[in-house]
Amino acid sequence: MRNTFVLSRSRWTPTLSWIIGVLVIWEVCSWLLLHVIQVPLAQSKLPFIHMLAQTLIGYGTTLLTEGWVTFKNAGIGFFVGATAGLILAILMSISKWIEQLTFPYAVASQMIPILGLAPIVFGIVRDDQLARILIAGYITFFPVALNVLRGLRSTNPSALELMYSYAAKPWTIYWKLRFPGMLPGLFTGLKIAAPLAVTGAILVELMGATNGIGVIMLRNLYYGPSHIYMFWLTVITGALLGILSYSIISFIERWITPWQPEYRPSGGED
Amino acid sequence: MTVAKVYTPEIQLDHVSMRFQTDKTEVVALENVSVDIQKGEFVSLLGPSGCGKTTLLRIMADLIQPTSGEIKVAGKSAKEARLAQKYGIVFQSPVLYDWRKVKENISLPLEMTGVKKGERESRVDELLQLVGLTNFQDKYPWQLSGGMQQRVAIARALAMEPEILLMDEPFSALDEFSRERLNEELLSIWSKVKNTVVFVTHSIPEAIFLSDRVFVLSPHPGRLAAVVDIPIPRPRKQEIRQSKEFYQLISGIRNIFEGV
Ligand SMILES: Nc1ncnc2c1ncn2[C@@H]1O[C@H](COP(=O)(O)OP(=O)(O)OP(=O)(O)O)[C@@H](O)[C@H]1O
Ligand SMILES: [Mg+2]
Repeated sequence: MRNTFVLSRSRWTPTLSWIIGVLVIWEVCSWLLLHVIQVPLAQSKLPFIHMLAQTLIGYGTTLLTEGWVTFKNAGIGFFVGATAGLILAILMSISKWIEQLTFPYAVASQMIPILGLAPIVFGIVRDDQLARILIAGYITFFPVALNVLRGLRSTNPSALELMYSYAAKPWTIYWKLRFPGMLPGLFTGLKIAAPLAVTGAILVELMGATNGIGVIMLRNLYYGPSHIYMFWLTVITGALLGILSYSIISFIERWITPWQPEYRPSGGED
Repeated sequence: MTVAKVYTPEIQLDHVSMRFQTDKTEVVALENVSVDIQKGEFVSLLGPSGCGKTTLLRIMADLIQPTSGEIKVAGKSAKEARLAQKYGIVFQSPVLYDWRKVKENISLPLEMTGVKKGERESRVDELLQLVGLTNFQDKYPWQLSGGMQQRVAIARALAMEPEILLMDEPFSALDEFSRERLNEELLSIWSKVKNTVVFVTHSIPEAIFLSDRVFVLSPHPGRLAAVVDIPIPRPRKQEIRQSKEFYQLISGIRNIFEGV
């Protein structure tokens, strides 16, 4: 009785039961498709979990090395894009003039479909490493700039008056008030951008890179039914990379801004 | 006129009016308010809600500029006084920075004036003790009650011993006991620092207990209805609240409101 109580209150229990639940439903559906409904190519629509697990044993190292390449390039691009977004947002918050000049372009740039942009960038730079970084950065840039700008703009007027009453210099106001105040916005932008940066990097790899998770994804797709499980594993790895990137940002967010309202314990819990 | 001025008032408002323009209507928050506050004087602004107390305080602090009339602080403009970092302000709401712990919030004005770290820390310790929050120094503002947050704001305003202390209902979120204790503490700090204090309150006894003079404001439009001298000698102890003189002053001010 006491044990179940402790278990049910544990932080990981919901996550764990959720994962197990999905896996079980997946396996059952897969079995239904193959043996009961008997759709053609049932395994490529929803492969058995146990077969995936079996394939993973031999294929794991490849997934890890290729996944790492993708993740690394996405990460560099993400960092570059986030920095650029941050700087532009600060400039826009300082000068209305810069905002009016650059904001329409920033918005317009987001209208270009990535699917079209990736091969163009790839064609221009002719370097799969650089192309991945550029696309990941390009995707990251906008959500970060937008959310940071909003954070910088939404400074509490009373908090600003306090600074004003101290006769604070503009950059002191930035340093002591606007920057800490925009951190939640920055992390919102980063959390939106992180998985997108990974997706962007994979997209470039599909256009014809030499390594990365996207490359083996494409290769397995070409080989057809015999590589079904491997293909699925690359897709899953891609998803996991996205989740990982999001989790890393969330972790850093909690570490740097522990004061955010969302981390406050709500009544009843704990 | 050849009469030489013997002193310059610390804060001098000359026919100050403040009108707020909202969509279609115009609110007259203050009309023709003229006051002189002496250096080292403790004055209260007393009046019902909406009579323009906060507005008057904000004009003194150079946070807003009056629609008409003039304000001088130590013979210069309010802006110059602000730039010279003469003000310590307690706002009507605490206005604490979410990302700063209690002690860091209190130390903010000290950082702004470039006080060294070691000195800052010992000063913050003193202030924490003063407002009774030593055990809460490492908490974030949201972990405190409203009254505790307000005490942090008070400690922060006192941190640099400002020449002019502007306080907007600083104790209204506190219980009667803490309020009376902090009234006394405030007086003892003031008697040491001898700064000029402008104190906004709704409470007649509080205004009387603290002040040299009470400025009574009447609403719609905000006007100066009366200036009441409080001749009770200092230092003042809690006992004076029971005195006949105190009661007389209270009913005197009550009558002003009823006459309005
Ligand atoms: N920024 C503003 N814009 C428009 N009207 C305002 C503004 N600030 C104050 N007022 C109006 O001016 C009047 C006086 O407001 P003020 O805040 O000075 O009152 P108060 O005496 O401090 O009241 P309380 O005791 O409730 O704090 C009110 O009628 C209010 O609506
Ligand atoms: Mg007010």
